[in-house]
Amino acid sequence: MEFKLEAHRIVSISLGKIYNSRVQRGGIKLHKNLLVSLVLRSARQVYLSDPCPGLYLAGPAGTPAPPPQQPGEPAAGPPAGWGEPPPPAARASWPETEPQPERSAVSEAPRVGDAVPAATVTGVGDVPQGGEADAAEAAWNRVDGPRQAAAGEAEDPAGGWGVFPLGSRAARRPCGCPLGGQDPPGTPAATPRAACCCAPRPAEDEPPAPPAVCPRKRGAAGVGGGPASCPAPGSTPLKKPRRNLEQPASGGEDDDAEEMETGNVANLISIFGSSFSGLLRKSPGGGREEEEGEESGPEAAEPGQICCDKPVLRDMNPWSTAIVAF
Amino acid sequence: TLTDIISTVEFNHTGELLATGDKGGRVVIFQREQESKNQIHRRGEYNVYSTFQSHEPEFDYLKSLEIEEKINKIRWLPQQNAAYFLLSTNDKTVKLWKVSERDKRPEGYNLKDEEGRLRDPATITTLRVPVLRPMDLMVEATPRRVFANAHTYHINSISVNSDYETYMSADDLRINLWNFEITNQSFNIVDIKPANMEELTEVITAAEFHPHHCNTFVYSSSKGTIRLCDMRASALCDRHTKFFEEPEDPSNRSFFSEIISSISDVKFSHSGRYIMTRDYLTVKVWDLNMENRPIETYQVHDYLRSKLCSLYENDCIFDKFECVWNGSDSVIMTGSYNNFFRMFDRNTKRDVTLEASRENSKPRAILKPRKVCVGGKRRKDEISVDSLDFSKKILHTAWHPSENIIAVAATNNLYIFQDKVN
Repeated sequence: MEFKLEAHRIVSISLGKIYNSRVQRGGIKLHKNLLVSLVLRSARQVYLSDPCPGLYLAGPAGTPAPPPQQPGEPAAGPPAGWGEPPPPAARASWPETEPQPERSAVSEAPRVGDAVPAATVTGVGDVPQGGEADAAEAAWNRVDGPRQAAAGEAEDPAGGWGVFPLGSRAARRPCGCPLGGQDPPGTPAATPRAACCCAPRPAEDEPPAPPAVCPRKRGAAGVGGGPASCPAPGSTPLKKPRRNLEQPASGGEDDDAEEMETGNVANLISIFGSSFSGLLRKSPGGGREEEEGEESGPEAAEPGQICCDKPVLRDMNPWSTAIVAF
Repeated sequence: TLTDIISTVEFNHTGELLATGDKGGRVVIFQREQESKNQIHRRGEYNVYSTFQSHEPEFDYLKSLEIEEKINKIRWLPQQNAAYFLLSTNDKTVKLWKVSERDKRPEGYNLKDEEGRLRDPATITTLRVPVLRPMDLMVEATPRRVFANAHTYHINSISVNSDYETYMSADDLRINLWNFEITNQSFNIVDIKPANMEELTEVITAAEFHPHHCNTFVYSSSKGTIRLCDMRASALCDRHTKFFEEPEDPSNRSFFSEIISSISDVKFSHSGRYIMTRDYLTVKVWDLNMENRPIETYQVHDYLRSKLCSLYENDCIFDKFECVWNGSDSVIMTGSYNNFFRMFDRNTKRDVTLEASRENSKPRAILKPRKVCVGGKRRKDEISVDSLDFSKKILHTAWHPSENIIAVAATNNLYIFQDKVN
């Protein structure tokens, strides 16, 4: 358990560093960001693998649904160690066992950036509105680009999770996989989304090279293309998250606040940790690695250039919106 | 002030000059005063010889990026005439500076008066030949070449080739070969940028030419490996000739294993037979003829191994320490925290920790060895790990090419220590 807390704290610190690197003088330092991403990946593996009693991160044993692919991770069923889903009480207990220490750990860790602590403290209540929501959503999708595309098996229910913007956290499990539907907190794990096998990836080393991406699907979905662009059955809630983003969190989501804080970090872990490019990539659509365009690599990972397809985002740092939205 | 922080230190090939670069883009050159016959026992001291602004902050409008003026590296060219030449680089641009003395000035112009004002030609009735008269010594630095726009990523190293005609500059992903005379093009000799940046796993951290073989160079990576390349093998040296890597010790695995294995500096020995690498906790000496492990490993500050998480939090784990050989390759030196620096004698296997601080740096004072206490009981002169000041770090040091004179940069102070005269 302590490893998990430690890992969580390291993840938070790492995210803070990544965020701050974007505003540092002299441009993004490729070397430092690469090292931070490696730490993030290691911490994420521990974070997602450290089994906790009562921690509900996987579906029932033997669930056939393929896991949402982290890029480069070989497909595998739930590993040994993930047993039956805990009863609802246990599930509800997961946030209770962790939130206090985690919240304090998370909020104190990134001293440098006030974005992350603000994020954890504000939790659900500060869901970004309007344009910000779109920004966050679009940024989220963009961030998730390579992973999602890399997921060969996009058909699995969680495969569409990459499409879900931040507001969907109400509908997501801590590991980031979308829930099958509108689940009030405490709902037992009987729903199909129990097949969240994204967590049990820990023992295997992620090969650093994700397969080729198809950004277009994500991009469209990110802009709100809706279910049409996502074949996954889990795509139904697509519209719901968008609405959530645009409204202040309803009371019904408050109960999830505690869970969401860690859940959001888990989401960020999956996205940031999956591939280094998630940190530095340009826009997923046209901004693919052109010879000259890509030359700018890290330097191009600037607000104005990443969000080229969203005029509203021109002034906004997508990473800060992604983090603040939490 | 922040801009005074010294970012590089380098002796020239004779040791007569010592150059420092700082975060504000300035270069300060010290010159060793000639030992006078009258004061045989007074070793030559270093005094300021020249100061100039090498780089200015720039703004890349296309990428909306500010380019820092901090001098990352200075490398001297061997002296070939009365003037001195050095290369200085920031993140993006390398410049060749000529530092020359002027101790005479022409007097007796016909068309100008003594103040330089033009004379009315109608008033000139005689002609004279201008003569050179002595003047107060003036040292002037002029930029002779500017090598720009060749690096997308941040330059971390420059190295002058032993042919004295070319040099290389290395950034995170590429190494370029330049001719001193040609500024509008460079030759790319190493490119480790993956086609898909998502596959990026390592970057170049340092590079250096072999001291004698102009076709050979090495570069180190963030993964703790060193590659030796031979430019005769192919134009693009993406395939190494030798690959130096030590297998990781699995018992030391932690979240930060990758960070602490990243090599921050690589230096050839003067003999050309060995290379020395510095990673976060150790200095290693490698024999060029043995690729699978170093021949020597020295622990610089192993007591930090249990503190890596805190050092990660405060960014200290990303500090890039340099390492240097002494003139005979028998002693190696590198910096640490709390203004400590360490020397390792390769022959006797003895090591010493010294401190660069004002208190113990009175002239002629002998540096007292320092010790960091790891366990519970702290002796009188020891300092405990938790008392170390991590803001006082010695990243840059230099060793005179032939004598036991060292230059140690402690934040914005430069310390020069000499071996005591017997």
